[in-house]
Amino acid sequence: MSLLKGRAWVFGDDVDTDLIYHNKYLAETDPNNMPQYAFEYYPGKENFAKEVKPGDIVVAGRNFGCGSSREHAVYCLQYAGGPCVLAETCSRIYYRYAVNNGYLVLFVKGISEAIKEGKIADGDELEIDTAKGTIRDITNGNEFHGDAVSDLENDIMRAGGLFPYLKAQAGKEKVEE
Amino acid sequence: MGKTSIVKIMERASGHPVKEGDRIWCNIDLASARDFGGANCVLQFEKEMGKDAKVWDPDKVAYTFDLQAPSHSEKVSNNQKIIREFAKRQGIKHVFDINHGIGQHVMLEHGLIKPGDVVLGTDSHMNLLGAVGAFSTGVGNSDVAAAYISGKNWFRVPETMKIEVTGNFKRGVCMRDLLTRIIGDLGASGMDFLAVEFTGETIERATLAERITLCSMVTEMSGKVPLIMPSGEVLEWLVQRAGEEVRDRVETLKADPDAEYCKVYRYNVDNLEPMASCPDAPDNVKPIREIAGTEVNQVHIGSCSNGRFEDIQAAYEVLMAGGGKVSPKVRAIITPSTTEVQIACAKAGMIEKFLEAGIVFTNPTCALCTAEHYGALPAGDIGCSTTNRNFIGKVGKGSHTYLMSPMSAMATAVKGCIADPREILK
Repeated sequence: MSLLKGRAWVFGDDVDTDLIYHNKYLAETDPNNMPQYAFEYYPGKENFAKEVKPGDIVVAGRNFGCGSSREHAVYCLQYAGGPCVLAETCSRIYYRYAVNNGYLVLFVKGISEAIKEGKIADGDELEIDTAKGTIRDITNGNEFHGDAVSDLENDIMRAGGLFPYLKAQAGKEKVEE
Repeated sequence: MGKTSIVKIMERASGHPVKEGDRIWCNIDLASARDFGGANCVLQFEKEMGKDAKVWDPDKVAYTFDLQAPSHSEKVSNNQKIIREFAKRQGIKHVFDINHGIGQHVMLEHGLIKPGDVVLGTDSHMNLLGAVGAFSTGVGNSDVAAAYISGKNWFRVPETMKIEVTGNFKRGVCMRDLLTRIIGDLGASGMDFLAVEFTGETIERATLAERITLCSMVTEMSGKVPLIMPSGEVLEWLVQRAGEEVRDRVETLKADPDAEYCKVYRYNVDNLEPMASCPDAPDNVKPIREIAGTEVNQVHIGSCSNGRFEDIQAAYEVLMAGGGKVSPKVRAIITPSTTEVQIACAKAGMIEKFLEAGIVFTNPTCALCTAEHYGALPAGDIGCSTTNRNFIGKVGKGSHTYLMSPMSAMATAVKGCIADPREILK
């Protein structure tokens, strides 16, 4: 599946993990229960959890997912059926969660400014070619380009996450023996 | 060209030469998890690998109960129980239960951390262990649970920034103020994915508590790991706790004099003044004098950034110089980082004075970093805190927080509004 289509939910710079998934719900251990709390504390996006549809795409500026450690902040979007996050950059820790769960994060140059200038907005229909890294805003015709993901992260993501990747590697080693 | 510390650490941990930008697999020296995240690690490991699967090395796994200690919700109590029972089944001895304090600090005090160790934890402030030269970094439950399989995990070898610090702090000014100043200059993503070496005469002289403050806040600039190789009294302290091997590690892992850095910043602290992070971001920085007089409802001193004995002692001096009472307008809470710190405060006779001053002195825990901790703020309240984050609504929807040093926080508690500690310490 290299072509993704979905509706945009647009956020600003430095969206911290408390805004994505508030610390009030940290004791939750089942990822299936996490989407109901997504963006509850983000001013103006309190209805995200109620209105998000599978396939919807989160679009953000710089440093998405900064702040506290909690993998819940990926699960709450992934288990809501979101295929990926587009961001100018995302925090180191958030990037690890995403890769380790096979959840695609594309680093998109210029998207932080584009958000501020209204060139990509809530509800826009997006089309993403994940192989080429191209992002087209069908609603207004604007185009963006995502960076290529490095080989190791790409392999882990394509395997479906860190556990499936390690199990596949262990299988390969056995065959080689 | 010489090597930076992180390159040497990662070569040791991976067993082969590395260069910046490489993706490598490192051996993990310690995989820790908290009472939050820890249950997720356990459940994920058992789901993926089966109930009978064994962790690769029970002596290299640790759990620290610090988010809610003691737990005040059934859900967290249950998560703690899941961890205790797993640890028992697996023969994991390093379980620091609700009577210990903040994980990184506790593991450090118990001699589990050496320079060059690769330490994982479900806490974004794991990297404060860079204060003794460890490569410790915050990760998620998948990282920790996957490390249980064979004791390895993947990393990108980071470029290194160097920050050189010279000069002496004036009375009433401290390491936290320097750090706040740096966050204001560099911004929330100013150290994105980087290792950061702190050097210079001010760092050489710094206590462990000061080094911890400096390193803990690197996370607030999106840094991967801060590194200060132990020296002087800090080195002797660590050798006592973690063994003689520490000396060799420091020698072999310190940066080469001709190592190359992607950025170098220089700070002189001679004329530094008390600083604060204003609502609602750590990098929204102003000098205390510009916001002095702002009314606050609650003051909280503690956390992994500023909950050491020296931090509490500095606050104590301000309290006593200010008359020994906090303003009736504010609620004041002090939370030591560990039981060891709590005992030191008791022996120094400070706790009685704090109680008489009208302050709540709590058991050691992570302090008011989440709205689930005691002291959560109601909408409309203004907090003043020595924790490391003041994101909007973090400790209560509709509340706002100013972050500052323990001295500034205590000056604020005494005056009932944001105050410069230099005015009390005159």
